[in-house]
This record gives sequence, C-alpha cells and structure tokens, in this order.
Amino acid sequence: MISEPLIVEQGVSAGDHWVTVGSGSIRDALAELKKDGFTLLVFLTCVDHLADSSRQWPARYELVYELRNLEKPEQIRVRAFIDGDPPHIDSVHDLFPPANWEERETYDMFGIIFNDHPDLSRILMPDDWVGHPLRRDYPVGGEVVEFSEEHETWQTPPEKA
Amino acid sequence: MGVEALAESLGRNILTTTLGKVVGWGRGNSVWPAQFGLACCAIEMIATATAGVDIGRFGSEAFRASPRQSDLMIVSGRVSQKMAPILRTIYDQMPEPKWVISMGACASTGGIFNNYALLQGVDKIVPVDVYIPGCPPRPEDLLNALMILQERIKAQGILPQQ
Amino acid sequence: MTDTITQGVTVTKTGEKGAFGGELLTVNFGPHHPSTHGVLRLIVDLDGEQVRSLKPVIGYLHTGIEKQMEALRWQQGVTVTDRHDYLSPPINNLAYALAVEKLMGVVVPPRADALRVIMSELTRLSSHLVWMGTSGLELGAMSMLMYCFRERDTILDMNEEISGFRMHTSYIRPGGVMADATPRFLEMLDRFIHDMPGHVDEYENLLTNNPIWRSRTIGIGRLSAEDAKVLGATGPMLRGSGVAWDLRRSIPYSGYENYDFEIATSDMCDCYGRYLVRIKEMREAVKILRQALDRLPDGPVNVDDRKMLPPPREELETSMEAVIHHFKLFTEGYSVPPGDVYVAVESGRGENGCYVVSDGTHKPRRVKFRSASFVNLQALEQMSLNHMIADMVAIIGTADTVLGDCDR
Ligand code: SF4
Repeated sequence: MISEPLIVEQGVSAGDHWVTVGSGSIRDALAELKKDGFTLLVFLTCVDHLADSSRQWPARYELVYELRNLEKPEQIRVRAFIDGDPPHIDSVHDLFPPANWEERETYDMFGIIFNDHPDLSRILMPDDWVGHPLRRDYPVGGEVVEFSEEHETWQTPPEKA
Repeated sequence: MGVEALAESLGRNILTTTLGKVVGWGRGNSVWPAQFGLACCAIEMIATATAGVDIGRFGSEAFRASPRQSDLMIVSGRVSQKMAPILRTIYDQMPEPKWVISMGACASTGGIFNNYALLQGVDKIVPVDVYIPGCPPRPEDLLNALMILQERIKAQGILPQQ
Repeated sequence: MTDTITQGVTVTKTGEKGAFGGELLTVNFGPHHPSTHGVLRLIVDLDGEQVRSLKPVIGYLHTGIEKQMEALRWQQGVTVTDRHDYLSPPINNLAYALAVEKLMGVVVPPRADALRVIMSELTRLSSHLVWMGTSGLELGAMSMLMYCFRERDTILDMNEEISGFRMHTSYIRPGGVMADATPRFLEMLDRFIHDMPGHVDEYENLLTNNPIWRSRTIGIGRLSAEDAKVLGATGPMLRGSGVAWDLRRSIPYSGYENYDFEIATSDMCDCYGRYLVRIKEMREAVKILRQALDRLPDGPVNVDDRKMLPPPREELETSMEAVIHHFKLFTEGYSVPPGDVYVAVESGRGENGCYVVSDGTHKPRRVKFRSASFVNLQALEQMSLNHMIADMVAIIGTADTVLGDCDR
C-alpha cells in the first residue's frame, strides 16, 4: 500500500477505492503499489475539470491511474492533480509498459507532457494537428446543422454551451 | 443466294447493336471493387461477399487488394481526418473509368459522429456515384446500390462522363 | 539517420547494417493493406525477410468517440458505445450501462441480467466467428470465411429479432434492456444452441489438424506468460499464454458467478494456442447460453424508475405525471450523481472497460473506454521480432485487434 506521507486524500467512489497523491510523488506511489502486487496498469487517463462546479478541484487536470492486483482481484485508483501550461508529470512507462501508449494518447488528447517519456508524439491524431481535442475548451467541431439549436451548441466549447 | 435466304441464315447468327452498349454491358457486369474496409460497415461488406448473399452473382466477387486492378471503390465506414489523404491517394491510383459507392451513414455524411475527427462525408474528397443509407446498411442494400450503379454504367457507353 | 515524413508520421532510418551486410530495409505495411485487419499501419525494419523492429501506427480510424460522448446525454451515449468495438456492440453497451447504473446505484431485475448474459455470449460467438473467418482467409483457408459467416448471419438474425437491428443493437441500456425477448427469439436461440456445437466441430475439422494451418501458426508469435502479463495483455492473448484470467470469473458481473463454465487456456503461447483458446471459448459460450436459456427467470426487464426510463405507452394516455416524466426525459435527460466509476467486462478481445466521470449534470464529464485492442497491440512488436514478414500476417490475425476499438 502507499505509505502514509504520500497520501493527500482517499475515499471510495461508487464502490471503487481511490487515493490521491501529490503530483510530484506519483512515481513513488505507483512503485510502492507495484511492489505490493498491483502489477497491472488497467488504464491511465486524464479528466479535465475546467468549469466543473460539482466540487472544489485542486487543479484543472486530474490524472487517473487504475491498478489491479491479479492475484487477489483487487483494484485501486490513484489520482494526481496538475496545472500549468503545458502541464507536466513524470512518466511511468518503465514501471508499467502499457503506459507507453496510454501516455502518448493522453499527451495527444490533453496536451499533458510526461517527463522522460521515450517517444512523446501524437498517436491518434496526425502529427501536424493543432490543439488537444479532449480538452474541455476545444470545440466538438463537425459541421453546423441548420435549424438545430443542439448542434449549434456543439460547435462551441462545452463550457460556454 | 437470294437476299431473303441470306437474311434468313445470318439473322440467327448475327446480332446488331451499338458498340457503346456492348462495352457498357461488359463493364457493368464485371465491376471489381477495391478491398477497402474501414470500420463496421466493412464487416457487412465482407458479409455481402459470403455465400448467403453472394455478390458474385453480379460479377463483383473479385475484391482486389490493389487499387490498380479495380474500378469500384466501396468506402465502407468512417473516414477520419488522418485517413482522408490516403483514401484520396488510393482513388487517384485507380485506373479510369472508376466509380465510388459510399456505404453507410458515416461515409456519406459523417453519420452520428458530427465532430472534429471525422470527415463529414467522403464526397468532400472523391466524387460519389451511389450513396447507401444505413448504419450499417444491410448486405442487400449494397447489392441494390451495385445494381443501380450497373444500370448507370450500362447507360454511359464507351466514354463515361467524369 | 534520416527522417522522412510520410502520410503524417515521421519515419526514422538509422542506416544500420543487417546480418548479411546489407542495409536494413524499412517497409511500410498499410494502412490500406488487405491483411492488417482494418486500417492498421506498420513500419517494419527488415533484414532480408526477417523483422528486426516494428512500429505500429494507429489512429487512422480515430472517431472522436470520447468527445462525442461528452456532447451527448447519458441515455444517448449508448448508441455511440455500439460503434467503438464494432464486433461486439452489446458487450460495449454492457460496460457503459453497468458503469452508469453503478453511479446511480440502481440494480437491474434478474431477467434483464440473464438477457444481458445471453446477448454477451451471442456477441462473443459472432466476434470469434468473424475473427476465425477473416484470419482463415488471410492464411489461405478461404472456405472458413463462408462457414463462419453462415453462423454469424444466424446470430445477426437473432439480434434483429430481439432488437430490430443486425449489428449495432443498442440493446443493453442503463436501467435494463431495450425490450423483452420475443417467443420467436427464444425458439431461434434454442435451435441455435442445439446446432452450434456441430458447427464448431466442422471448423475444427477444417483447421485443427490442417497441416498448412498448423505450420503457419505453431511456434509463430510466441508470447510467454511473463511477457503477456507485463505488457498488460488480456483476453485470448493472455489465456493463450496459459494464464487463467477471465473477468467473468475473477470479477463477475451480471450474474456470471452463477454459470458453470471453464476458462479456456492453452500453454502453447503461440498463434495456434490462441486459436485453440477461441475454439474452446466458443464451446463454453454455447454452454453458458444453454444454462441461461433454461434458467431464464420471469419478471420485468427494466428498473422501475420513471426518472431514468420512459413510462410504458399505456400509462401515457391516462396519467399526467407519466407525460411529464416522458417529456423531461426526452428533452433534458436524467442526471447522474457526481463521482467516477470503472467497470470492466470481458469482450471477445479481452478487457473492455468503461471509466465514467459525472459532474452531476445530464451529460457525462468524461467517458474513457479502456480497449483491449489498444493494449494488446503493444505486444505486437514483442511477438513478431525475428519472424519472417509473412508470419506477421498470422500474428496480427491472431492478436485480433479491432481498429475501431483501438483508435476510438
Ligand atoms: S455508418 Fe454506422 S456502421 Fe457504418 S461505419 Fe459508420 S458507425 Fe459504423
């Protein structure tokens, strides 16, 4: 388990156990969990909390790491909050190899820079694409549908809609 | 030999027609599609080629892997912004005359995905002859589109208008 | 070192020497290639015919599904989940539905659970059939395509009977299923369960001892159990390496703990092992279907919650309250309490999960699909190193990636 000083907050959401750690200590936290048998990184992603009023968020971007212990079936979710332009966090690709592509995807979609990643390039969008599509201030895009208010709102970023 | 006798003996063996009709008939009944599966619709396209539906009855069972050997491109599925230039390259590599069927809602208009990632209709980059609605269209729909296309090809004659 | 940009991706040539003194040859494979199972692109360094390094390039089918989900209301999102892994639509529906239900704290009635299991197993069968047909085709067994698609069509007919649509059924929805099974569906299912084992024998007759199939798959694409675990592989890729990990057993959902079935594994760790696993899984799926059909409970198929699902048609004519609920549901939808949840289900390819974040409004804040293909594809390099380039076709085939699932 993660040692006490690293934990910022912990709780349970809809039955899933989660722990928040400081963004600087994400590698230490995950390494400790790996030693405890949480060897599978199920997924890694980011949530953009721009203009999210459901609670007070410490920062705009929330990195989410879901780990699983294959022996016990046990899962834990580790969160880290980061800000900045562009936001930075340490890469964990050497601890969990599947993180390699997941981090590239998160970079592509949210513009998060993973320090020390071996090949941080776009993976889903073309190399010359501008912007990071899954950020909340990136419009959904597509085409305007005439006489449809709903589609008009899709053109603008979700926050203004 | 009298004229009547000549007409009688040759009439059974000679068929008069225009060259355009013959060429159109030949082209229309041997449309070879390029194997160009993109997404979900491609699975239904494969299903069209199998025994139950059998596109071979219409002379189109020869799905070619190389665009150089095909005259029909069935765009079966959603075309992303990353794929669009490649699709156009493949279209350019096909020899004339060539036709395009846009299969499914995504290829025709973007379908339910009105967003940044998809090309909103493949007709933005290649000319489309027949659109098939549906998400995905049934294999029968693809056959129907093929028959419509065949009628057109037959009507076009020697020089299909581009 | 020379860099060239081709079709949106940077390719680096290192100028290294191969074993026979020649230069390594960089070959581009795809994205429009008949044997890459969709629009996958590989940049391969070849030494003669041997693969020395391999870089998959994906994203040619990126559909913006996750962004689209954020723009749609909770109940509209179901239609989108169908289309990301297009060989197993109901299983994707199930992951999303379970996630939303868990956040809202609702539990579906037992009949809905049983119908969900039936649809999941039918889908698993049809997904494996498509896999076997197309992989057989790529390795030269053309008749497999015809046989497999015959049974797949039977399954699609059943889909049509129960939901009105062949492929993208959207049958499983948050709060239950779309409609109850019709008597005709149950009849068709019964006949199908009766016939299917014989068909599986037929496939085995064609492939299992076929010398060409064996020589093209045995010993090809080895992935040891250790590597598979480290690389995060799931599904038949992991079970084909001898690890008995199946989410239906380890973290059961929808009442899978009540069914009696075996986890298919194989110790061969190669393409042939993965093939055996899938064949076995097809047999097990038929077993599960039989149990589910025999024990199908009676009762409603939806939760009785007017805030989440529309009232039945008859009620609309007599009750004002029902009309209001109906109107609200279809103009602004329901909202889901804030929080996040991750639910994983076992699809034909491995762990397909759905991570949902709600901010309490009527649209999701974030929906992330954990896709098995995306993770399994990272093992491709490990599996194909030092193999002939022709064997890569078998390796890509048995990895069974669906690019729609991978690129989302
Ligand atoms: S039209 Fe429907 S079935 Fe066809 S590619 Fe688009 S989403 Fe898939």
